[in-house]
Amino acid sequence: MAYSVNVAIEAPIENQIQEIAYDGTEVYQQPLSMSESLSKLAAKIDFGKGQDEKEEKVVDKTEEDAKDPAAYQSSLWPWDSVRNKLKNAFTEVCVLSDVLAIAKEKRYLVLDPVPQEPPETKAMVTVYARKKALGGAATVLLTGAERLRTSQSEAARNRAASDFHIELLALRKNWRLKKVGNSIIGDVSYRTAGSKFASSGMFEVTKAEEEPSSGWSPPQSPSAVAPPPKTPSALRVTLPSELQGVAYIEVHCRKDDEALFSTTVTSSTLNTAGPMPDMHWQKKLEAAQNVLFCKELFNQLAKEAVQLPGPIPHMVVGNQIVASILPGIQLIIGLCHSTATKNKKSGPPQQKKSDHDHVLEHSIHQLLREVHHKNTHHPFPHPSSGPLGPSKQRCLAGPSAVDRHELMEMSKSKTLLEQIIEQTQHFTMRRRTEYVLDTIAKEVRDPLIISHWNSINSPTKACVKVNIMTHGYDTICRTLLIIHVGKKSLKCICRDGSVMNMSYEIQELRDLLICQIQQHQITAVQALAKCMGWQLLSNNTHLGVGEVQQMGNASSCMLASPMGDRLIAVRCEPQAGVHVSIAHSPRKDFYPGQLVKDRKWENLGGGFKEVRWDKMEGKNFLNKMELLMASLTSSS
Amino acid sequence: MAQRGLPQSKEALLKSYSARLKDDVKSLLENFEEIVKLAKGESDSQLSRMTQCEQDTYEMHVRSANIVRAGESLMKLVSDIKQYLILNDFPSVNDAITQNSKLFRQKQGEADQKLMVLRDDMAADLYDLEEEYYNSVYKCRIAD
Repeated sequence: MAYSVNVAIEAPIENQIQEIAYDGTEVYQQPLSMSESLSKLAAKIDFGKGQDEKEEKVVDKTEEDAKDPAAYQSSLWPWDSVRNKLKNAFTEVCVLSDVLAIAKEKRYLVLDPVPQEPPETKAMVTVYARKKALGGAATVLLTGAERLRTSQSEAARNRAASDFHIELLALRKNWRLKKVGNSIIGDVSYRTAGSKFASSGMFEVTKAEEEPSSGWSPPQSPSAVAPPPKTPSALRVTLPSELQGVAYIEVHCRKDDEALFSTTVTSSTLNTAGPMPDMHWQKKLEAAQNVLFCKELFNQLAKEAVQLPGPIPHMVVGNQIVASILPGIQLIIGLCHSTATKNKKSGPPQQKKSDHDHVLEHSIHQLLREVHHKNTHHPFPHPSSGPLGPSKQRCLAGPSAVDRHELMEMSKSKTLLEQIIEQTQHFTMRRRTEYVLDTIAKEVRDPLIISHWNSINSPTKACVKVNIMTHGYDTICRTLLIIHVGKKSLKCICRDGSVMNMSYEIQELRDLLICQIQQHQITAVQALAKCMGWQLLSNNTHLGVGEVQQMGNASSCMLASPMGDRLIAVRCEPQAGVHVSIAHSPRKDFYPGQLVKDRKWENLGGGFKEVRWDKMEGKNFLNKMELLMASLTSSS
Repeated sequence: MAQRGLPQSKEALLKSYSARLKDDVKSLLENFEEIVKLAKGESDSQLSRMTQCEQDTYEMHVRSANIVRAGESLMKLVSDIKQYLILNDFPSVNDAITQNSKLFRQKQGEADQKLMVLRDDMAADLYDLEEEYYNSVYKCRIAD
């Protein structure tokens, strides 16, 4: 370092040689100014570098684009190309950033690799696809058509008798129907027939669904007869619960806590049928109508029973009406409504008597029907606008000059309960009369008592003809009685034209008949005596002598033989029977005594001897009398 | 003449029936036409062909199902019209009522007549039987 050597340093040629002349002189390029050299360096920057390959081309392109203006428009503004490139690059980066942001969310955009080559489709494939599509469509159509066809054919084949519309038509012909909304509503009430019962009888008609027949059928007992194959109805009727089941009205006539007779107001078929769930709709509706009818009937009777003033007030307890008809006899009307359960509600069924009477059943129905009829049928003329108008009787009242009393009588009308009570009273009276007649006919053997009931009668009036006669002597004498059986009284028209009015006590009739029998015997003896040629000396139907009878009076008669020498005295007592005595006058064997010295006094008669009547020959009283008379008749 | 008396709602109902008929028939026709059009396969959509095929298949199925639906709707319409006719055919109901009442009157007459004959027979027989019974020695116990 002690030596210092001068080293000459020459700057290398900074300027590039532009050209070398043939003589060796070098022509240098002018060195770049600062701005020129900066722009040159800047031009060397590769902006495309570092971006995705996708954008490579674009970048290349921009680079190319950038070069051109740099080349050609550098004269305009030296930084123009650079600015353009930067701007483009900025746009690209913004777009990229947005895309990435969206793609990252994965909600709106998913990035998938692009298939490199589009799948090639052949023409045949599309044809096949179209064929398949048509085939599918055809299948759908065919299935639908098949379904329609099967439903049609099935309806035609299986359920020819039970098509819904045919059944609906049949239903419509018999019942009132109307369409409300989508459902069909019917009515079973008697309102159009004149009923004023408030309860509605609505039911709903629906189409029955195809039910699986195998599921619910109960196991059949082996001994049971196979039920007939019945086609299920296509129509279903839905009834409100208060109309379901079977109802009937029971009528008892009770005498001192003992049922005299009972009748049930219902047809027997309904009782036995029971409310089956799969009953045919017609029967179901009829049963419902019957329920409604019974309810109306009972309602009406109960209302009347409460309102009706009577010596003994009628009682309404629960679904029973108790009305007294005659002393000791009560009429009990009960409403029995058995709902869905098969058994009757009222425990053990009432024991039915053999002489079960359907007359009350009929009349109680008939009475309400009459009321219904009256509600709708008014006698003409009446205003067409309303159910008003005078009755036919009142129309005739003017022309026939009816007085006030008759008009008052006209305005009286009887309630259903009164009418049924009257009918029941008559029924009881008739039974009592029958009983008395039959008992007497059985007890009294000698004169035959033959009763003939008149076949023409009314619900409150009957008539019986009683014929008293002796067997074998019916042409000689017969006693005829006519007994009119009313509501609470009896009227008897006797043979002599006298009219006896009797109350409901049967003992009165019995007494009358027994008296009539005794009178018959006396009358018959007289008639027989006439035939036999005997003379009637005296006749007394109400004998004042002898023992006092418990009932009635004894009657007697005295007969004399044709010769006048024999006497027969007959005394009939209602209780004790017949006593016959005979007397001879004069006696054949006369022995003069202290007092009676002459035979002539024997003609006065007397000295009756009673005949031991039970030892007499003969079938009956008249026969015995005939034999007695015959034996006493002397020819001499 | 009968139509004049129909209330408003009934008239509307009848109109709706006719509209339903027209709609259903139109639906049948249109859907069929569309299926035929689809079968031609002229589509100038931008979808790929497979997608187009799938869409066509689906559309055909839907349209054929529409045809079936329209057919069944027609059946329902027939049933509705039947029901309407049955429920509102008052002349025939009146005929049925008249016929029924005639039938029942006839039956009533027959029953009355038979009952009368029966009553007469029974009355005659009863007379004889009563005569015989009360004349005989044997009489049954009277039930109280």
